[in-house]
This record gives sequence, structure tokens and C-alpha cells, in this order.
Amino acid sequence: MHIPDSFIPIWQGAIYWIIVLVFITLALKWAKDEMNEEKLPLVAVLAAGIFALQSFNLPVSMGTSGHLVGGALAAIILGSPFAAVFILAMVLIVQGVLFGDGGITVMGANIINMGVIGGFVGFYTFKGLMGMTKSMPLSVFFAAWLACLIPALAASLELYLAGTFPLVEGMIAMGIYYAIIGVIEGIVTVGAIYLITTARPDLVDTGAKTATGA
Amino acid sequence: MDNKTFIIIGIIVALLIGVVAVFMASGDPDGLESTALVVQGQKELTGGTPENAEIHEETEGRFSYSSPMPDYSLGEQMGPLGGIIAIVLGTILAFFVVLGLTYGIRATRPAK
Repeated sequence: MHIPDSFIPIWQGAIYWIIVLVFITLALKWAKDEMNEEKLPLVAVLAAGIFALQSFNLPVSMGTSGHLVGGALAAIILGSPFAAVFILAMVLIVQGVLFGDGGITVMGANIINMGVIGGFVGFYTFKGLMGMTKSMPLSVFFAAWLACLIPALAASLELYLAGTFPLVEGMIAMGIYYAIIGVIEGIVTVGAIYLITTARPDLVDTGAKTATGA
Repeated sequence: MDNKTFIIIGIIVALLIGVVAVFMASGDPDGLESTALVVQGQKELTGGTPENAEIHEETEGRFSYSSPMPDYSLGEQMGPLGGIIAIVLGTILAFFVVLGLTYGIRATRPAK
């Protein structure tokens, strides 16, 4: 769901940039407070993994393909929505500047959608569901699914404001496509979190212990 | 698993995913591009994407930028090898940008 430069006027892109700079500042503060020698490799490896997974488009029928976005993955595994803002911002900068995947003036909007909205929706959906269901895979899957769908609807709204998409038709098409792509997001996120927690249970702060323990 | 092993295995897994993606990834438009084709009347909502479908891009008053490796490729003549080089570079760069930035931020923290 990388928006290209041609889809949003420069002045609107500038507004998203200003908004996202607030979140990036908070994400840098998160990194400063929370990073330690142990978590550092996880953050960097996640960035590399999310970059690679984002290049892997899987067909989802209807002449459309989709790939993992990774906001829920980063936020859940590092225990903060700002982890998603931090990692997705860096990944999107590399993608936009080097590979033309997502525009430059619209990068603020892309970071808001995938990093900020994806991270916050993913993190708080996971926390809420984990409290209710106590099921890690179920909570992760649904959180990741929503963290794919809601950013897509946000992008659709931004593109309506930009005059690029009509409101209803855009929302319906984006909603249908990303509801299906979200299943990929869910499955890959569950798998990745399972692998990382198995390899390094000490690094992960998912609240799973308190939920299953006493 | 210690930090070093975790990093090495993590990077290898990421690189493998990226390299496999060069050969296996679907060339169909993503959800956003599909939606653009639908609202521009070039594609049915639930139908396949026609071969000649092309997204109309507004250029008037819009920023335009030419990236060094557009579409994760080094151009037609380089083929899949160019794709692999692009993905490997991007994956490693993503790793080092985040690692470097995180180290940089930590360095600004007052010593305890």
C-alpha cells in the first residue's frame, strides 16, 4: 500500500510529513529509553526481515497481490507501537529513496499508515484480545489482520482527500483487497512471532507469560 | 541462542526470503494499485487485471523523483541477477540503518 508521489498533491504530503515527524520524534525517544544491548539485534534483524518480506508479493486472486506490512509484528514483539513507527519509518525511507517504492513527498502519509496506524492498531488490538482470549496465535492473527486493513482504509481516505480515489468506490475496493491481504499479514506475523519467541524468549515482551501464568 | 548467532541466522533468513521473492513473487498489482485501476475504469473489482492495464499518474503539480533502483531491479538487461543485487543491498542497508541509528541514539544517552 505504498502511495506514489503522483497520487497526493505536494501540500497535502507536507501536512502528513509534519504530523509524522511528531511520531518519529516520539519513536526516537522510545528507542533512546528502551534500547539495550539485548534488544538492539532484534530491532535491526526485524528491519531487515520486514524489508525482505515486503518484497514478497503473494497472489490473492482478483488480479491482485499483497505482502506483509509488518507494523503489528514490530509493535507486538517489541512491546510498543513506537517500535513499529521506528522500524517502518526506516524501511520506508530505504524503499522510497533507493527503490522508488512509495514516494518522497508522500512518505509522511505512508509512514503514518503503515507505521503509526499499523503499529497502534496492531499493538492495542493484540493487548485487548490477549486479555480476553488468552490465546497468543488468535490475538496475534486478528491484530495483524486489522493492522493491515485499517491502514489501507486510512490510505483510501487520504487518496479521497487528494482527489485521486472516489470515497465509496475506493473504500470498498481497498477494504476488499486488504481484508484478503490481511490474512497473509496474520499468518506471516503469527509464524514470525512463533519463530522469534522460540529462538530468543528472553527478548520478547508480548505479555504472554503474565497471561498464561498465575 | 546468543546475540551473534541470532543476528547471523536472522540476516540469512531475511536474505533467503528476499532472493526467493525475486523469482517467486507475484507480478500482479498490489491492493492499492488494483484499487487505482478499478476507480480508473481499467479493471473490474473482482476480475483479473488486463495485460495492458496501466495506472494513470497525475504529474501536474506533483513531485517526481527517479530512484537509482526502481522496482527493486537494475534494469531489463541485468534480469534476475539485478533483482537479487537490489534486494540484498536493500535488506543489508535496512539492517545497518536501524543498527546505526539505534547505536547513535544510545550514544546520546547520558552515562549512568
